[in-house]
Amino acid sequence: MKNPRAGVSVLAVAAVAALGLVSCGGGGSSSSSSGGGGKKGGILNVTYASFPDYMDPQLSYTQEGWSAMGEIYIPLLTYKHGAGTEGAEVVPGLAKEPPKITNGGKTYTLFLRPGLKYSDGKPVKASDFPYSVERLFKVNSGGSPFYTSIVGAEQFAETKKGGIPGIKTNDKTGEIRIELEKPRGTFSNELGLMFVAPVPRGTPDEDLSANPPPGTGPYMITKSQPGRGWEVERNPYWEKANSKAMPEYPTGNIDGAKFTVVRNPQTQVNDIEQGKFDYMENPPPADRYTEVKEQFEGTQFRIEPTISTYYFWMNTQEPPFNDVKVRQAVNYAVDAAALERVYSGQIKGTQQILPPGMPGYKKFELYPHDMNKAKELLKEANPSDMNITVWTDTESPNNEAGEYYEGVLKELGFNTKLKVLNADNYFTVIGNRSTPDLDTGWSDWYQDYPHPNDFFQPLLTGESILQTNNGNFANFNEPAVNKEVSELGEEQLEEAQEAKYEGLDKKVMEQAPWAPYGTRTLSTFVSSAINLESVIYSPTFGAYLTSFEFSE
Amino acid sequence: MNSANRATDPAEPEGSSAGYGPWRLALRRFLRNRVAVAFLILFFLIVAFVLAAPLWANHVAHTGPNETHTLEKLHVNGEIREVVTPEGKPIGPQWFEAGGKFFLGADSRLGRDEMVRLMYGGRTSLLIGVASGLITALLAISLGLLAGYYRGWVDAVIGRTLDVLWSLPVLLIGIALGISLAVGGLKIGPLELSGGSIWNPIIVISIFSVPYFARPIRGEVLALGEKEFVEAAVAQGAGPLRVMFSELLPNLASTIIVFFALIIANNMLFEAALSFLGAGVQPPNSSWGTMITVGEELLTTQPLLAIIPGVMIMLTVLSLNIVGDGLRDALDPRSKVAFEARTGIAETERAPV
Repeated sequence: MKNPRAGVSVLAVAAVAALGLVSCGGGGSSSSSSGGGGKKGGILNVTYASFPDYMDPQLSYTQEGWSAMGEIYIPLLTYKHGAGTEGAEVVPGLAKEPPKITNGGKTYTLFLRPGLKYSDGKPVKASDFPYSVERLFKVNSGGSPFYTSIVGAEQFAETKKGGIPGIKTNDKTGEIRIELEKPRGTFSNELGLMFVAPVPRGTPDEDLSANPPPGTGPYMITKSQPGRGWEVERNPYWEKANSKAMPEYPTGNIDGAKFTVVRNPQTQVNDIEQGKFDYMENPPPADRYTEVKEQFEGTQFRIEPTISTYYFWMNTQEPPFNDVKVRQAVNYAVDAAALERVYSGQIKGTQQILPPGMPGYKKFELYPHDMNKAKELLKEANPSDMNITVWTDTESPNNEAGEYYEGVLKELGFNTKLKVLNADNYFTVIGNRSTPDLDTGWSDWYQDYPHPNDFFQPLLTGESILQTNNGNFANFNEPAVNKEVSELGEEQLEEAQEAKYEGLDKKVMEQAPWAPYGTRTLSTFVSSAINLESVIYSPTFGAYLTSFEFSE
Repeated sequence: MNSANRATDPAEPEGSSAGYGPWRLALRRFLRNRVAVAFLILFFLIVAFVLAAPLWANHVAHTGPNETHTLEKLHVNGEIREVVTPEGKPIGPQWFEAGGKFFLGADSRLGRDEMVRLMYGGRTSLLIGVASGLITALLAISLGLLAGYYRGWVDAVIGRTLDVLWSLPVLLIGIALGISLAVGGLKIGPLELSGGSIWNPIIVISIFSVPYFARPIRGEVLALGEKEFVEAAVAQGAGPLRVMFSELLPNLASTIIVFFALIIANNMLFEAALSFLGAGVQPPNSSWGTMITVGEELLTTQPLLAIIPGVMIMLTVLSLNIVGDGLRDALDPRSKVAFEARTGIAETERAPV
């Protein structure tokens, strides 16, 4: 998923490679995620730099939203409460056990745990699941494409009528049977996304950000003021019902939390230092990053790697970037070391599609920085069109990365024009193929779930080229790659598949549709009142609310 | 009354003006205003400073305004200094320690020379101020003359249009228009501007500044229209165009000169605001407004990056305002005398913003 919006908030659904950085996993069998040494109770004061895109489980597609609601709405499957690779494991959520996959990978059967209740006291029924999936399509959620492989879902997405025949449920037994059009190796990961977390039947088919629907997690939203903040309290039916039905899910230490939007990150840092807030969701601004790191690392501050790739895309279907030599020249010219400084050290240089921590990742460096070689390649290619437009957004330091990139292209001899768009609509504009002059530009991608297919299928295949909401900005359409991605997408991810993804990564980079330059790190910054050791940074949901505890 | 008649200065000592033309008298009065003269000199110094940008860039800093130096190192007094540290902190002012390179330090994590960008940015800011001032003046004079001369429905239409323009939240609409033009550019008939063109902010600023200039012009034309010399011209068979351009316009000269200076200052502030909000000059080009935006992010560690362009804007606007006031006092001293007599205080009127 893309970096969502302006401000310092960064969409990061993952932090797998955090092995060893988080000393207390806390996931698994305990009903509390306490890191030890803390106390129970208290209201956590949290600050976000911006309000989540939606406070609605079927609609939200940003880290702010997933972090805000991750423990309010639990899907049938979920991710283990742990950092690093531990947190990348898909485990049962509201479902009793992992899905039974039959019919050559096309049928998924799950059973709902008995006795579950929503925070308004209504029982959770198996039929709520198809209702939630249908609601996802009815509200035109950005997460819809993950579920169009369900039999009949594509048609339902168009007509919004008649139900989805590929989902059959039995409220008495709690059985949920999902039929897919073709095998989909990533479907278990997709069942673990909040997009399909059950909500009560009858929940309106509209954005409910101001009045979020009841959930099933240990906390419930009691107040939501879009643009300003929201509050959560313990879900009374968690203790009465759900914690008994799913004892391995953490109950949490704090009694509730108050979330306030503070748009100035400088103020956020000051407020954390002064104890006015206990946790800031976004990283400190670049200007304060070093100061905060030096002063608080280990006690109140911790770096959290993400599974993300930052890159410059090149339109492979139009001159001059329809020539592989030109694209390779750009890869040689872009210097990841310079961009590490542009990002104040909050990025680690890489030159491939898959980021560290993602299954299938193996480091290689096809294009070590060499400006002379880049110029030679460009001379050989001798492109007919040297006039290009370079796109980036206003969010710092992505805007500076775009300016750096424009400078590099100018040095190579291109006549460049830089277009800097507001981060709120950047991806909408560059994702619309009718926008003129989409030659090359900046983008990033954070994993939706820990599966390498998530870095190829939505970004680098012919089928992902769309007229609007296009994610394949390079318009890369290589039949051999399309075929391999499609075949791998149908298989369950095992060692053999990981090796194939490793090869695919190299194969794509030889064609150089992107000039990748790094993978981002984020951070956890808490006040002195919080036990940093206890905080678990999830690969999917950011910092788990249930993992926070006040120091003794 | 013609322009020569208007030169009579009640503040001028009797007999001292004998034999001087109106413009020479105005010049004498202006030169006697030492504050205005001092700020005029300051304004010329600022203009000279920004005009010297290529000289400084080529012969002292040896870099262009948009060239990045992220990984470069400077050798200063046997010491190696990184232009941008691995943590992304840009180098501070080096003054002449590095032979004039990075005199004011680097502008951001991209390691561009702040001094070079300040000089080039000033050219952009001044160019926008002057160019938009000229367009505003042209539009405002035309509309003011038409409204004041024809009165009736012409005046009503122009007046209400200006009222509408005046009542709009100028900055918000300026931002919206600026961003929209920055993305799509502008195409009206044969006129085609690309998204990054400097003419986009110039056009936006020019249009929104018209009411501030056109209203006083209209008022002046209304007053002049009652004068005998206009009636005489009409009686002699002069057509509307001749009356407007041969009789009225010369008598508006002092108002136009004064407001032109003030509108340049206002437009520079408008440009700074638009650029600060991302709707004015587009990167990588610099203006003083965009430099404040870049510096704002590093305000706690490198405050000079935002303060220096801010001070440059302040000095330029201040000098233009004071020169404008001085010109008004010199060209139409009665307005000052009348105002002081009426209120008992020195006049501090400015063009509304």
